[in-house]
Amino acid sequence: MKNNILILPSIIFFLILSIFLYLLIIDRNPSEIPSNLLNKNTPIFEAKSLFKNEKFISANEFKDEIILVNFFATWCKPCRDEHVYIQRFADEKDLKIIGINYKDNNKKAIKWLEDLGNPYENVLIDKKGKIAIDWGVYGIPETFIINSNGIIMYRNVGPITNKIYKKINLIINKNE
Amino acid sequence: MNSLILRKITLITITFCITQFFLNTSYSVEPDEILNNPKYELRARNISKNIRCMVCQNQSIDESNAPLAKDLRILIREKIKEGNKDEEIYAFLTDRYGDFILLKPPLNSKTLFLWLLPIIFLILGAYTIFYHNKKSR
Repeated sequence: MKNNILILPSIIFFLILSIFLYLLIIDRNPSEIPSNLLNKNTPIFEAKSLFKNEKFISANEFKDEIILVNFFATWCKPCRDEHVYIQRFADEKDLKIIGINYKDNNKKAIKWLEDLGNPYENVLIDKKGKIAIDWGVYGIPETFIINSNGIIMYRNVGPITNKIYKKINLIINKNE
Repeated sequence: MNSLILRKITLITITFCITQFFLNTSYSVEPDEILNNPKYELRARNISKNIRCMVCQNQSIDESNAPLAKDLRILIREKIKEGNKDEEIYAFLTDRYGDFILLKPPLNSKTLFLWLLPIIFLILGAYTIFYHNKKSR
């Protein structure tokens, strides 16, 4: 009889234990935070361009086509690692890519793009990191996919790897 | 002699523990960030203490040295100077980073289970103890 009383708490205890175990086993990164901007409109902002003289006004840009937005900096080693994939998106998919140069030196950024190739249709300057905050960025590189309605479809925190490259390709193909 | 040393060590240890207990938080606010208006500064500090550093994740932006934490501290102070209310500042941050940026999760449909879990455990524990004692008698 005494044992019967302990059945319910024991079941609950093992249930909670199994949930924790499941969370440990599944393929997930607990430090990765889902973006609050997913399925929402792109943030409204204005920025100076690294190469163009005209001001970038987000409301005029994020429409009519799929756009990839990539936050990068020359001082960020993973940005260099993923650059080859950003270049592949520009070459193979003919995708419009907007680079946002985060807390960087303009001269260094120009030199970096000359050396590694420039896959960006436009490079925006985010000297103080304010645009990054508007996008909910917390660690660069970060990449966003925006559909033709200006809605954020996907966000990747960290460098693009082969696996993520394929995943992004699938999302682009689905939305084309 | 030995007991005297032991007493001294105990006294030092206790003093150290008490001091650590009251001074266990370090702050990262830099002098150039501090606002001239003490009321505004106090508001900024209070908000900062509730905002999670997204880089370190287990510290508030008030305690964190991460560059993003500093950017957010400055942003909060700018928003206060612009005349924004505390709720508006919290809304600005959660719109961009989600509820995760709040160190204390708000009570809503997604977090209901989290908030109710301690109460459920309390009831279960009380139920078990109560019936266990009753049966033992």
